[in-house]
Amino acid sequence: MAARKPVFNQQLLYDTTPLPDSIPKVKEIGASSAPLLSASFFIGARCRDYNDDFMQCKTENPGRGEFECLKEGRRVTRCARSVIDDINKSCLEQFRAHWQCLDNNNHQLWQCRPAEWKLNKCVFENLKLEKVIPDQPKQSTPVHLRETQIFAHRAIPRWEKPFVAPTAAEDKS
Amino acid sequence: MPQDMPPAGGYDAVQYKRNLPSRGLFRPIPLLTVGGALMLYGWYKLVVGIREQNEMAREKMWSRIHLIPLLQAEEDRDLVRRHLADQAREKELLGKNFKVYNSDRYVRPTFAAIPGHVTK
Repeated sequence: MAARKPVFNQQLLYDTTPLPDSIPKVKEIGASSAPLLSASFFIGARCRDYNDDFMQCKTENPGRGEFECLKEGRRVTRCARSVIDDINKSCLEQFRAHWQCLDNNNHQLWQCRPAEWKLNKCVFENLKLEKVIPDQPKQSTPVHLRETQIFAHRAIPRWEKPFVAPTAAEDKS
Repeated sequence: MPQDMPPAGGYDAVQYKRNLPSRGLFRPIPLLTVGGALMLYGWYKLVVGIREQNEMAREKMWSRIHLIPLLQAEEDRDLVRRHLADQAREKELLGKNFKVYNSDRYVRPTFAAIPGHVTK
């Protein structure tokens, strides 16, 4: 499958024909890359099952997945949208601070740890979603919880503390 | 004429060695120790940095893994929309849909038809 978009260097290439009414409508996610990156682990935390369903459907229908997996695709989009909406409702300030920081720092997550910790705290307290990076080595601190980010341009101020979700802290002690 | 002979008692020893003892740090063992310690410190910092980079790469990869189904679903919907619109247009123009490829796979279009009127 050629991953090339049919794009010409002309203006008249909009095809605005909507999907037929037989296919249910879904509102697209409508977020740009920085908010998506900022919310990605929460999307993964809540929508993992939908995502896996969609990817499995795509794997089981090679070459036809575009048509066969529309239903799963709608579920994925709806779920991700619900996450973004919830974050917007309860943690708008922290969310904005974090993704604007990402936007200003070339999407490098390690430059924005203090903002990320605040966002993680708010999201965990309001939505019970936690950022977990799978497959990390057990004996070391997860990279998003380290208080010194050796690749960051600026040192993290001493009063900024990483947010560790309570359940994880109880498991450790 | 008598032959030139060595002086009585032989020649003096030829001084071929410098007599400059190296002192303090500039002896072989301390030099090697200090150099080795410096090198080990550098390796330590390098390994720490590489491990942190690995973890950050893992973080980035997982954030992308969580996002890919979302992005792909949106793309797929758009492709299906364009495909169905193409099919409808073909049917309207030619009366029926021709099967262009000898397979049932979806083939991403290389060329896009330009709709007659665009309402944006």
